[in-house]
Amino acid sequence: MKVPVSWLREYVAFDLPVEELARRLVFTSCEVDRVVRRGVSDAGGNFEHFLVGKVLEADKHPNADKLQLTRVDVGQGAPVQIVCGAWNFGAGDTVAVVLPGGVMPGGEFTIERRKLRGELSEGMILSERELELGQDHTGIIVLPGELEPGTPLADVLPIGDDVLEIETGYNRPDLTSVYGIAREVAALTGAELAPPPGASDKVSQAGSERVDIRVEDLERCPRYVGRLFRDVRVGESPPWLKARLLAAGMRPISNVVDVTNYVMLALGNPLHAFDYDTLAEGRIVVRRAGPGEELVTLDGTLRKLDPEDLVIADAERAIAIGGVMGGEDTEVSEETTSVLLEAANFEPLTILRSGERHHMRTEGQTRWEKGVDPHLAPQAARYATELLVELAGARWTGEAEVTAELPAPPVIPYRPRRAEEVVGMAFDDAEQRERLGRLGFGVASDFTVTTPTWRARDVRREIDVVEEVARFHLEAVPATLPVRQKLFGRLTRFQRLRRQVEDVLVGAGFYEAYTYSLQPDDPDPNAIELPEPLSALQRVLRTTLATGLLGAARHNVDMGNADIALFEIAHVYLPTGTPVPDERWHLGGIVQGDFFAAKGAVESVFGALHVEPHFDRAQILPQSPVGATVQSGWVAQHSPLVLDGEWSAFELDLAELFSYVPERILYRDVITYPPLRQDLAFTVEEGVAAGDLAAAAREAAGEELREIRVFDVYRGEQVGPGRKSVAFSVSFQSPERTLSDEDAARLREAIVTALRERFGAELRA
Amino acid sequence: MDSLAAVDWQAHEEEAQRAIASAATADALEDARVRYLGRKSELAQALRGVRDRESGMLLNGIRQRLEAAVEERRAELERARLDAAFAAGDVDVTVPGKHYPRGRLHLLTQIRREIEDIFLGLGYEVYEGNEVATVWENFDALTSDPGHPSRSPADTFYLDENTVLRTHTSPDQIRAMQSKEPPIYLISPGRCYRRDTPDATHSPTFLQVEALAVDRSITLADLQGTVLEFSRELFGRDREVRMRTSYFPFTEPSVEFDVTCFLCGGEGCPVCKHSGWIEMGGAGWVDPDVYRNVGYDPDAWTGFAFGFGIERIAMLRHGLPDLRAYWENDLRVLGQF
Repeated sequence: MKVPVSWLREYVAFDLPVEELARRLVFTSCEVDRVVRRGVSDAGGNFEHFLVGKVLEADKHPNADKLQLTRVDVGQGAPVQIVCGAWNFGAGDTVAVVLPGGVMPGGEFTIERRKLRGELSEGMILSERELELGQDHTGIIVLPGELEPGTPLADVLPIGDDVLEIETGYNRPDLTSVYGIAREVAALTGAELAPPPGASDKVSQAGSERVDIRVEDLERCPRYVGRLFRDVRVGESPPWLKARLLAAGMRPISNVVDVTNYVMLALGNPLHAFDYDTLAEGRIVVRRAGPGEELVTLDGTLRKLDPEDLVIADAERAIAIGGVMGGEDTEVSEETTSVLLEAANFEPLTILRSGERHHMRTEGQTRWEKGVDPHLAPQAARYATELLVELAGARWTGEAEVTAELPAPPVIPYRPRRAEEVVGMAFDDAEQRERLGRLGFGVASDFTVTTPTWRARDVRREIDVVEEVARFHLEAVPATLPVRQKLFGRLTRFQRLRRQVEDVLVGAGFYEAYTYSLQPDDPDPNAIELPEPLSALQRVLRTTLATGLLGAARHNVDMGNADIALFEIAHVYLPTGTPVPDERWHLGGIVQGDFFAAKGAVESVFGALHVEPHFDRAQILPQSPVGATVQSGWVAQHSPLVLDGEWSAFELDLAELFSYVPERILYRDVITYPPLRQDLAFTVEEGVAAGDLAAAAREAAGEELREIRVFDVYRGEQVGPGRKSVAFSVSFQSPERTLSDEDAARLREAIVTALRERFGAELRA
Repeated sequence: MDSLAAVDWQAHEEEAQRAIASAATADALEDARVRYLGRKSELAQALRGVRDRESGMLLNGIRQRLEAAVEERRAELERARLDAAFAAGDVDVTVPGKHYPRGRLHLLTQIRREIEDIFLGLGYEVYEGNEVATVWENFDALTSDPGHPSRSPADTFYLDENTVLRTHTSPDQIRAMQSKEPPIYLISPGRCYRRDTPDATHSPTFLQVEALAVDRSITLADLQGTVLEFSRELFGRDREVRMRTSYFPFTEPSVEFDVTCFLCGGEGCPVCKHSGWIEMGGAGWVDPDVYRNVGYDPDAWTGFAFGFGIERIAMLRHGLPDLRAYWENDLRVLGQF
């Protein structure tokens, strides 16, 4: 919300510099995004150059048909001569003048004495647009005649203003108004707060017309005040009003509409004005939209209404979506002479849902959604009445009000020492009482606190009252640390092992990737799909990391990067048949190279975790030339159809993998008795797996076979077609004695026999 | 005895010592060694003929001294040779060494670990909950109003009417409190999701860390102190922090945290938008209704929570300006950190 400071000062006469006020509001009340200077700067006495002037003479410029030559009394001795391009005024009019030396809005342009077509011009007569007071640039401003020449213009028009750009929290509907901000400023600075506008009727009702208001849904519209005005003269608003609306970020439209907006900005209660003569039977009905009902809203859009929409209707049709936007047919126009003013209260959820449904976002909505004080409606009606009578010459001829039973304001037993217990610093009782009072809370002698109606949604409990007091002291809160009875400063086993896996892979040359949990597709047909995805690219909750990693690898190829090796550790979301998936931590990897590139990475991870991997050939990926399962996951070579060249990948379920990690490693004696090392090479049929040979060897030789490792696989003439030679390096060792050559021979024979019998393996050397 | 008598062993030793000392190369030294200590040397022959203890001691003494001299001279020559080789400068030390592959942790993991380690040091555990949350865990239990805009399907990914992709790490507060008794000191890092169209400063997936402390008599001052310690560990010992009023459904009072800019020290610079302060995240004193929702006694337990974005810290500290870069995994980017 944009808060013009001159407007704010009308309600609270604080004497802080604006920047300092903004700085302090940030701590106590709301975000202040920035302070913007609008219009004429008052720096360096610049305002002195802007004066009220009275035009004494105005004639055609002798050398220019389109210019006027004027003599203007600016209250400073002799009249000044000013050349002017506008013709909407003449001798006798009171106008706004800037004298030489005056700096115009924006700060770029300084007025100087200069000759225009041979005649001296000692200043400029101003238009709205030049002063940033309005959009009208066709003519200059004609001021009320009773103003004395020489009166400072700033006393008459808001020619320059600072504007606070404020963001208000969801819990502070009261801060969506200038008066609400003023109340905060008063509480913050101790400056006096003026009584709220519209506190009582300043004009009296001139007539007793019946106003027909029917509210069928009091839950969604707990209050509706309708006031009827006759003899309304729709026209332009005065410069001060237009200036304020513009400074507050709203476009002036007409005096009637401007008044509704002005009162909304002042008090925070959105209003609407209907052209009364367009209402069927002059009736207002607040109800849900009927089936198939439609409405053309003010923005010219045809809206198909939903039965959940709350509408304002006349006797026949919907004429507004309540609290969101009015209808085109009943809009106030230049021909309007009778106005029905709506000052209502709407429930936030109704407005929120209607706004979502119709993709609308209006100034009114943002206020309703936070929950406007239902006690504001009559006050807003009174203030708007005052302004309509003053500015549109209207006659207030009738009123009706429908109201639900409004909730009583919260009454909270408050313990003032609670503030200290929560904040951790001392609070003075008297100061708490004073501050709460300034914010509008009732504070009884026993510190029973009554919440003002405009805060009733937010301040309901003792802790809420504590916040009201504490927020004015946030800059002074000391820094302490909790007194601890118990410490938890350790990663879980899972987290420690996960870090170890990350480090092993980084050490092996892998880069860690982050890819999206939401993917365009997933190999699992049951993978959970978002009912309303953001885009087709982020549609499915993945069950595998492989898709994202493949995308990341492809991106790196496209970027021309080499030696691509990526891993990711993240959740996958396995379908369970319920909306809540089984979330598991997976480790995935992709690397340039054949099957054995990925397999090596998996072996590194298993090795680091003291787990012996077992690979079994399996079809893992579509059109993959080779793949295998391994405990907790798989390794496979990608099909060249998905990514050019040789790429391999792996994926492991970390919880399962870590379940194989030994809790405790027991020492094995490798020092006392020396090992005996030998190489053994066997020829076998091509189809025999090296891993199966090793496993059989272990089984045959038992504990004394300490280590067996494949170091060469050879195919060629010497072993013949269809066969291969697999060479193992083996190590025999006993923890109990030094093995003799005879022991070695025995173990070796056991292995040779077992492999021959089970695989037809022949010992080569 | 004759041979022993026939040789002036003292002169012989002196001659041998001179020969050893003057050997200028390893070969010359070897020649001297063979001549004076070799199998056919006079000394060796004499030692073979020794029959009495006295002569044995004399000759063995000479042999040991000569052997020591040879070793010493050998070491001297070797040192000289190595020095000469280095002086010759024929090795280009600027040629790369043997290549060992080495990858990198993602920048966000590095920062995440740093944050985890700071809090581990403060005695907090790292709690990791699921990313799919019930509406109750993500909103209701955190006392979020039914009308709060964050609940809108325009902001939140719903899987069905009761299930969402968590929009913050705060559901972990609820799960942790439901699963264990206080006191609780934890941080919860992880992925969160909001319906933001990806651009330089928005990502539908992002990483948050949230800290939760629940204990007896925790105050807002404890929150301030904890955030201060954390900020100083992360951004440097000179940092200061400040709290500003704010609103979150699950804390009361609620605050925003700022830290003095670590680049300019608070003087004002482009990173802190010339304010001297950097917005860190949201925090507050845990709302008593949250305890009620998880079955804790709100009169017995007090606590604070605060949360912030990991990407934001990475952006601030490393100047990587575009959020999308964190998810593209370009090795040229990953390799920089």
